[in-house]
Amino acid sequence: MTKTRHRIVATLIGLLFLYAGCMKLLDPAAFAVDILNYRILPWTGAVLLALYLPWLEVLCGAALIFRRAYRGALHITAFLFALFLAAYGSTRPRGLDIDCGCFGHGMHRGYWSTLAVDVLLLAILVWLIKSDVRPPVQKL
Amino acid sequence: MPLALRQMLAILLLAVIPAVATGLWHPRRPSWQSDEVTLAAAGAWGQSVLWVDARPDSDFARAHIPGAQPLNEDYWDDLLPGLLDHWDATRKVVVYCSSLSCQTSRDVARRLREEVNLPNVFVLEGGWEAWERQQH
Repeated sequence: MTKTRHRIVATLIGLLFLYAGCMKLLDPAAFAVDILNYRILPWTGAVLLALYLPWLEVLCGAALIFRRAYRGALHITAFLFALFLAAYGSTRPRGLDIDCGCFGHGMHRGYWSTLAVDVLLLAILVWLIKSDVRPPVQKL
Repeated sequence: MPLALRQMLAILLLAVIPAVATGLWHPRRPSWQSDEVTLAAAGAWGQSVLWVDARPDSDFARAHIPGAQPLNEDYWDDLLPGLLDHWDATRKVVVYCSSLSCQTSRDVARRLREEVNLPNVFVLEGGWEAWERQQH
């Protein structure tokens, strides 16, 4: 039962990542602007990330759904959520009021609700990682 | 090497291939050249700059960069002819909105490039706030 629950949750997060990656892939130029708006990377860095990150999300999403390279995908996904939490969390203290760019260009969500959803998803991913630790092989 | 680490490396490397293809062939791939200009750089262009104010009408009415033409998405069709009256091929268009994090200047700049086919369209870094800061 617990295993089934894990699979459902991982699949849902995988679908979310797949959707987020595909939405960004529709318009990488607009996504580069969204990244630039964080004022963390220069334009060249924003372009590189705008080309790379959507595919990373698509691959991780697919890996979580189809359970291929599952553990690696879980770790990358958790790392991406933590990175986003730090980057987006820092915008308000730095006087920026920007779209998160989470699901492509032009999605408007509140600062606190975005952070809350991110923390929740990160907590779920940590739970999935911890519960995925396989027991050591018993020696006969 | 632990399994999770091997899988992470495989995913991270695999993502590079479609990312390179996206950079080469995607119709909406980003340009490597930034369209942002600083106030100092725009100032150095002198009289060839055509300032475009992408803020709401009420903000434009309150104050704007001298000589700026208003153009926002709410009244695009009404305001565009006025802008084009002031434009000629020698001018560089610099669009600004209220602050560093506003988005409207980018949207207006993109529409000027894609729908009106204007060349040399830039976005002012820091927007109206940067201009005001320089004045004080």
